[in-house]
Amino acid sequence: MSFSRILAPHQIAASRRDFLRGAIGALSATTVRNGLGAPLTALKPAEKTIVVTFGGGARDEETFAEEGQENIPHLLGTLLPQGTFFTQVRNGGILGHYVATASIVTGVYERFNNFIAQPPENPTLFEYYRRELKRPVTDAWVIAPSNGFQKIGGSSSSSFGPRYGAGVILPKRLLSTATRGALNSSADDLQHLLQDNYEMPDYQVASSSQDRELHLDTLESTLRLSVADFVKHAQTLDSADELSVFITRRLMDNQAPSLMMLTLHDMDVAHSGSYSLYIDAIQRADRLCAELWQAVQSHPEYRNRTTLYIMPDFGRDADDDASGNGFQHHRTGSDMARTTWLLALGPNIRQNVVVERAIESIDLVPTIGCRLGFSANTPGRCIEELR
Amino acid sequence: MTPADLKEDSFKNYPSAARSFAVQHLALLRQFPLAVCPSFLVQVASLDTRFPRERETLEWQFHSLETLTDKQRNELFSPLHSLRLPDDMARMNWVDNSAVFVEKLAAVLWSSGQINVFHAASRTLFDAMPSPADNTDRLLLIVLGRDADTSRPSLMKKLARKGLRLEAVDKTSAQEQILNALTERAKSSPQSYAHWYVDGGSPWMMSAENVVQTSYPGLSPLRMYVLDRMRAVLRNGQSGAEMMRSVMAESTTGAMQNGRVSTNPVLQRFYAELFTEGSGTQVFSTSFVQWAGRELARRAQPATVLLRYAPRQHHRGLNEMVEDPSSSKMDPQGSLVDAEMNAFYNWIAMNRITSPGRLTTLAWAEGSSRAVLIGPKTQPNTLSKTPITIAQALRAMQSA
Repeated sequence: MSFSRILAPHQIAASRRDFLRGAIGALSATTVRNGLGAPLTALKPAEKTIVVTFGGGARDEETFAEEGQENIPHLLGTLLPQGTFFTQVRNGGILGHYVATASIVTGVYERFNNFIAQPPENPTLFEYYRRELKRPVTDAWVIAPSNGFQKIGGSSSSSFGPRYGAGVILPKRLLSTATRGALNSSADDLQHLLQDNYEMPDYQVASSSQDRELHLDTLESTLRLSVADFVKHAQTLDSADELSVFITRRLMDNQAPSLMMLTLHDMDVAHSGSYSLYIDAIQRADRLCAELWQAVQSHPEYRNRTTLYIMPDFGRDADDDASGNGFQHHRTGSDMARTTWLLALGPNIRQNVVVERAIESIDLVPTIGCRLGFSANTPGRCIEELR
Repeated sequence: MTPADLKEDSFKNYPSAARSFAVQHLALLRQFPLAVCPSFLVQVASLDTRFPRERETLEWQFHSLETLTDKQRNELFSPLHSLRLPDDMARMNWVDNSAVFVEKLAAVLWSSGQINVFHAASRTLFDAMPSPADNTDRLLLIVLGRDADTSRPSLMKKLARKGLRLEAVDKTSAQEQILNALTERAKSSPQSYAHWYVDGGSPWMMSAENVVQTSYPGLSPLRMYVLDRMRAVLRNGQSGAEMMRSVMAESTTGAMQNGRVSTNPVLQRFYAELFTEGSGTQVFSTSFVQWAGRELARRAQPATVLLRYAPRQHHRGLNEMVEDPSSSKMDPQGSLVDAEMNAFYNWIAMNRITSPGRLTTLAWAEGSSRAVLIGPKTQPNTLSKTPITIAQALRAMQSA
């Protein structure tokens, strides 16, 4: 067995920055090493926050590197110039999607078994937010793929826990329930929205009273959407991620929550070894991020008062790493698999700025905390450039 | 039990060659840290049904470690000895069920935050047993793009960046000359398992001694056996990814007995593991061909490989593809994109095992006049519009 040269995180970041400079010249003039220009303390914190993670990881080669840029025209051309881009976000935890997402929302590298649905041990972003700011139950939501994520809204921490947790919507699970027993043709039409992958094959996790998952019987009261209309609309969509964005927009229209997290997961189809499907999913995520931002900017409750954070949970394995199989998995634990990026946009975020210094994925919770005015007990740090 | 407790009798359930090997190297096995001993035993236990090159490699690795001084070995093993593993792992029967142990070890290392230490220490360990010099001249032949539009300029761009893009290949003779190249090499250098033809669809007709031929449809009994096991996990409804992985890891033995596709136990094992260890190979022929090419390079280290990609089935949900694997709706255009990336990975894998200047790769877009040639005499990222046959292109690489 031989091991090939693997890029160090700073090399990955430098590569990403160079490609960005080539892609949008305007950025090169404002690229800063530290990102700290004029202090932002005079600015009011954003009142609403949306976090979008890519559960599946996306590599530079298919996104911000030169040949990947064709896959992300909206991120690159529309969103990045409006925000602050961090080229070097390191995930020092377990590279499994559920546990990595849980780590992002707790600000602590969780150590539980990725493949068993369970609440995180440490308090989540939603619990800090709701308890300290005394926010109602309808003000924090998670929209996630169906596999095990129903426990992510609240932790098992005794001083926080489900009573402060976020509502959780698993659109695929809702759709699956809605079409169970339906005529075959109708159910068949929706199979492409219910896809699962090798890392997370579909399985039914037992619900508990502690879960704050939205079920079909409360769909209408929460989203003002009948089951029939939900199924009918789903039939017009191409993928599970589109379904998740549709649900997010219904939530915005009907509950206008102040804190939402959306996990896009289509790109994890990469585990099947199909590069074309992986690329399709990245292109879709790119388009959906732009559509979401456009929806935010045209929504009276969200316009000019919303901060959007977009961050893959981690990367994927490098092509030349002998212990992996390239884009297909994220099993090597190499720097390429651990290093990703963060794009932040919003009224109080500097525009057209690239920050090169390293941050960690667990920094997101304290950053949202210091912007919104709640404290979080995590080893992560508030990102100064976003304070 | 720790490796230090190993005795000759510990290997009584191993097949003969495996038992002999283990007994012969017992002193070294007893020094291995628990974190790596079962990984080596996975290979030792199946030695009777491994390719000759795999046996040689394992022999070489053990020999390399045995010739180190005690101090050198201790330095190599020390970081691995320091890994903290739960007590119940030592209580497992990791001699007979080493694959299950390795599966659990990965989860423990990740969840305990020790995976980076393990990777670094493993890397240092393998660096201490470098592969012996290999002067084999290798030929990798790839055919892709059947039924797809292969006219776009960026076709095979990753491969083309490494070599010469050919835009005027004689397409009428290409198939015949590719097969000729394979059979001629097999004739002139007739070692076992040195020459291979793997097809993702119905294979081209050919008759050649010393060429191992296999195809996705030909391995259907094995694939169906593994899909059956996957189906059982999915239907259970309470079993997630971990159960799926365990079932797959444990399926090799069953697949050796059931889903019989070869009377040769070495081939039966190799084919079985393409489905039990590969991800996506059970549902996509493109993933199967890529993984087969990768595993051939890693394990059999062949001299000649012909990999032909065929259209895979149209994408559906995983559950649906597992429940109903016999879809006739194909996705040739998506398959082409898959095959382009997979071909690049096949080149990386063959390049990894070949000495510099000794690998020639030719990838042809089936039915077209377009190909990419990478070899000792090609320059990166170059283009030729001169009419040429496949045979002429390959000959040009030989006359260096």
